[in-house]
Amino acid sequence: MLDLLKKYRTPLLTGCLVLAALLVYSANLRHQDRTTFFERLVLQVTAPLQKGIDVGWKTASGWWQHYLWLIDTQQDNERLTLENRRLRAELVGMQEIRLANERLHRLLEFRETTHLPALAAQVIAEDASSWFRTVVIDRGSADGLRQGLPVVVAEGVVGRIIVIAPHQSRVLLITDASSAVASLVQGNRTRGISRGKGNLLTFDYAVRQAQIEVGDPIITSGTGGIFPKGLPIGQVTRVTREAFGLFQAVEVAPVVDFARLEEVLVLITDQP
Amino acid sequence: MTRIFAYYSLGFVFILLQTALFPRFLPFFLKPDLLLVLIIYLGLNENYVRGGVLAYLLGCLLDVFAGNYLGLYGVACLATVFVVRGVADRLNTESSLLLLVLVFCGTFLQGIVLFFALGLFADAGPLLALFFGQLLPQALLNLAAALLLLQVVSALQRRFAPRSELPGLRHLNNRYGS
Repeated sequence: MLDLLKKYRTPLLTGCLVLAALLVYSANLRHQDRTTFFERLVLQVTAPLQKGIDVGWKTASGWWQHYLWLIDTQQDNERLTLENRRLRAELVGMQEIRLANERLHRLLEFRETTHLPALAAQVIAEDASSWFRTVVIDRGSADGLRQGLPVVVAEGVVGRIIVIAPHQSRVLLITDASSAVASLVQGNRTRGISRGKGNLLTFDYAVRQAQIEVGDPIITSGTGGIFPKGLPIGQVTRVTREAFGLFQAVEVAPVVDFARLEEVLVLITDQP
Repeated sequence: MTRIFAYYSLGFVFILLQTALFPRFLPFFLKPDLLLVLIIYLGLNENYVRGGVLAYLLGCLLDVFAGNYLGLYGVACLATVFVVRGVADRLNTESSLLLLVLVFCGTFLQGIVLFFALGLFADAGPLLALFFGQLLPQALLNLAAALLLLQVVSALQRRFAPRSELPGLRHLNNRYGS
């Protein structure tokens, strides 16, 4: 018997091992949801080693890629810089389009409320000197415009055309010292003349007795023959009543931000 | 004739810069008066007749792009060039520093001439506060622009025409090698 075992020792051991392996395997199949002590032990022992190898590899790889093998990095950097510039330019362009769209939308809404034919124009230049307040727009007599036509934006009155060329016009802003607009206080209907004063306006010839308060809106009266009635000009910022005199001094801030004037509407009125 | 054309072309370029380029990066309605620099230069380097005619025509050109009174800047430029011509004989006109001083003083002179011309001949509204509130910043801005312009012109001259000399611009310095 012993001789027989010795003779077939190898096949028998092999068979036993296979059988044992199958038994362990089949036993474990029933407890798949549990981590065995063996698994835990092996994992605990190997985890630091794995981590060490991982860190070492990453460090070595990082050194190689960041400090030694930089050909790809250089190319990537150039490509990404170009792409970044392109995307930034596109973003600026998109924002510009969005803002122009918003402005034109407001202008269109205003145009519908005026009940007058109007022509949109673009501001292309400013006055050559610092003393006067005029701007140049890209529409002229070829587009049906003529001297004296009122120019407005959605917020209110801008000015009137003073010089006309076939494809350009110069607009005298209401803030110019030589500009005068027949106007009235919206609340109590006090009449006066809004004169330019550089960056502000004065509301002249307002009688002393009229109750004008800071914040009162000033609108066009429609009696000057240039601007239609009811267009906003500005808001009262200061009222001074002297002890004597027929009139009070009223300072008005324009509602239009002339520093950011881009698109305007020229109202095509009937008056020659 | 070439010189007159050059002056006029330069004046036109300056006006274009003032109307279309400067407003894009400078505060609203505050821009350097480059044409004044040219007018002062005319006063220093041309005789009364040629300088006067050129200054008047350049002023009228500016009037097309500024304000509402054709001929106003013509008068102001004419007065400026005559005053500069009048004092030029007593000064060292070859010094570029003189040009800067005259640009600074010329701003005030031109402002005063404009103020009186408007006040006496036109219904120009409340000008006093506007003019005198803005004269000093305008003079300083013109001074800075003249300084920058001198640097640019000198650099261009050195780069493209090192042997030629622009009258009144570092002429002495070149001659005496200082």
